[in-house]
Amino acid sequence: MSTVPLIHVVDDDLSMRNALLRLLGAAGFEARGYASTGEFLLQALPDRPGCLLLDLRLPGPSGLDLQAALRQQNIVLPVVFLTGHGNVDSSVRAMKAGAVDFLTKPVERDILLDAIRRALARDATQRTAREEAGRLHERFASLTRRERQVFDLVVAGKLNKQIADELGMAERTVKLIRAHVMAKLGAGSAAELGRLAEQLRQLSA
Amino acid sequence: MPHGSKKQWLGVARALMTALVLCCIAGPLRAAEDEARVLMLYGLDPYLPPLLAMDKAMRESLASETDGRVIFFSESLDSQRFAMETLGPELAALLAKKYNALRINVVVAVSRTALDFFERYGKQLWPGARLVYVGFLGYELKTPALPPGASAVLSILDAAGTIDIARRLHPGVRRIVVVSGVAEVDRRAEQQAREALATLDERVQVEFLSGLPLPELEARVADQPPDSIVIYLVQFRDRDGRPYDPFEVLRAVVKTSGAPVYGAAETYIGLGAVAGSVASYESRGRLIGEQVRRALAGGPPDPSRTVLAAPNRCVADARALGRWSLDERLLPSGCEMRFADVPIWRRYWWQIALTLAIIVAQGALIMALFHQRRRRRLAEQAELGQRFALAHAARLAVAGELTGAIAHEINQPLGAILSNADAADFMLDSGEDRRDELRRILADIRRDDVRASEVIQRLRDLLGKHDVERTEFDLNEIVSDLESIMRAEARRRGVVLEIRLAPEILAIMGDRVQIQQVLINLVLNAMDAIADESEARRTVVVSVAKGGSGAVLAVRDRGRGIAPEHRAKIFESFFSTKRNGMGLGLSITRTIVEAHGGRIRAESDPDGDTVFQVELPLAIANGGPSPHPA
Repeated sequence: MSTVPLIHVVDDDLSMRNALLRLLGAAGFEARGYASTGEFLLQALPDRPGCLLLDLRLPGPSGLDLQAALRQQNIVLPVVFLTGHGNVDSSVRAMKAGAVDFLTKPVERDILLDAIRRALARDATQRTAREEAGRLHERFASLTRRERQVFDLVVAGKLNKQIADELGMAERTVKLIRAHVMAKLGAGSAAELGRLAEQLRQLSA
Repeated sequence: MPHGSKKQWLGVARALMTALVLCCIAGPLRAAEDEARVLMLYGLDPYLPPLLAMDKAMRESLASETDGRVIFFSESLDSQRFAMETLGPELAALLAKKYNALRINVVVAVSRTALDFFERYGKQLWPGARLVYVGFLGYELKTPALPPGASAVLSILDAAGTIDIARRLHPGVRRIVVVSGVAEVDRRAEQQAREALATLDERVQVEFLSGLPLPELEARVADQPPDSIVIYLVQFRDRDGRPYDPFEVLRAVVKTSGAPVYGAAETYIGLGAVAGSVASYESRGRLIGEQVRRALAGGPPDPSRTVLAAPNRCVADARALGRWSLDERLLPSGCEMRFADVPIWRRYWWQIALTLAIIVAQGALIMALFHQRRRRRLAEQAELGQRFALAHAARLAVAGELTGAIAHEINQPLGAILSNADAADFMLDSGEDRRDELRRILADIRRDDVRASEVIQRLRDLLGKHDVERTEFDLNEIVSDLESIMRAEARRRGVVLEIRLAPEILAIMGDRVQIQQVLINLVLNAMDAIADESEARRTVVVSVAKGGSGAVLAVRDRGRGIAPEHRAKIFESFFSTKRNGMGLGLSITRTIVEAHGGRIRAESDPDGDTVFQVELPLAIANGGPSPHPA
């Protein structure tokens, strides 16, 4: 998996698209161009950090349509809109739908690159959070049924003795399982376990 | 005595019958007594043209001045050809028979012979008739010789006046030749001329050719140099006693003379005499009429009017003047010009004037109609101009509608240019040698710059105020020119725009911008029509095709159609079903189409598909459409 960010440029204007790809390339980014939303969706999306530089008006489904579609498919890719002629209405809709920025052509280099960087930064943050959550899920998934039961009760604030009573096992056994759980989840304390549990709950929400 | 009375009755009836028959046969002899009867007694041939003219004037004068009926009788002695000395008594006897039962009121004796005859037989033939004597050349008569109660009309041979006229026409004349005979009449005229010429200055040489036999006379006048003048008075007889017709002598003189000839009698003018102071037969006729009238009225004669003389006046022959190259302006004022070639416009002046007046009136009418037509055309042009000004305003309004599309079309290349420039900047900063790529960037920048300026140029063409131009262009080009803007607008509105061009060139003649406006109006109209429709119906199809007798531009949409009650009004000004519509788009569209000799019509089918079809005539300058260049 490449960690170099990939910027997806969707613009139906060939000249504009080429210029953007060139600029992003010269600025040190890797970029890929698409002439329409359909073309973008047909390509397999590589698992790479990146963002979407999206024209608002496109033949067929518009940039806003694509933004909505990605969200529906739980594809999290920060979007920067770049349009030839925007209006208040479309910019509000774009921002509400989570766009990083809404730019109009012609766009200043610094403003564009800044927006791209912010989008990538957001992507990185989201990606890290997602990775963490993924790792957590993995670790959580490695717990045995008994370990999961113990974890739930520990997170619920029960004492070892109470847990032993509830599960009908020895308090020593509970202590042992608890040590396994903490080792598997990489937690050093009960408080840390609580934080992990909170993270899990948020992720699964 | 019935028998006797019956016989008597028959006798009376027979007498009456006879009278009736006689009345029918010789009615004038027993004409009613209340008539005035005038006998014209001619010594000469009465059919001589001057005498006819004189007679006519006399009768006219009498008819206009006398109330009652005047009956004319006419007798000719023709004494020039028949000797009265021998025939007189017999003629008188015949006339006595003729006029036995007829009272003659007035006898007009024309010429000396007639006067002599009257003096001799008049009292028996026409008792109680009063005499009016008509004498020629004046000196035929010694006025006291007139019988009591008679009156006369004389004409005076005006030798002096004629000489005067001749000298006016020849101011520097050195030689004057006077021709006359030796009869008494001739001598009197000559005497008059001598008196008139006596006052001349000595340098003018005067010669009298009196009583020369005709051949000698002809030879003498033929010798005269052209700068001299010949005055012909009258010649009844030569020195050998040979009688002449004075007119015959004149003719011979005129024919042979080397110098212009002047004469003192009206009849000379026209026989070749240049001019003369003469009394006209017509004026004599009127004077005779006056004397007859007075005689008919009865009563003692007016002593002051007993002898009337016809006035002499200047008469000239234009042909003779021309022959001798004489200046007619030298003639006394009021001189009558005869035989002038009267210009046609003078002869038919009123007909010509009327014709001209009609022509002028017609011309004026035509001018007025042309003027009116011109004014109407100007007004129509002004109206069309206003419609076009309105069309311009409407284009500006359309531009407002298209702002988004236009901005998009311009910002697109501008954005590309800026980003390319920025990319180039980065490349230069990197210090690497990426010349090839930089060159490509510059090429792209140029292309985009051209693209942006083309958009602007097209908009300026469309939106700028411009004079209406007529050029030839392909209808397909109109659609392709505006394709990018129309597509941008379609995208903005979420409309699918389909464009179908014709495979061949459809050359039409007209104003490019106005036809572009027609297209934009129809496309925007179509897009408006489908604004609230479902996605499946949001399609506008623009097509160009050859059809009918020209090129057809069609714009089809799948909106709600045109309501039947609106169909008749959609092309009218200020009719709109749109909330913010001014109602000018389609009316301007139609104005433009019709100004291009085309037609526009709208059709809606029950499915709601509406098509606006504009049919424009093809330009034929290039011999019809030719295939598209590859």
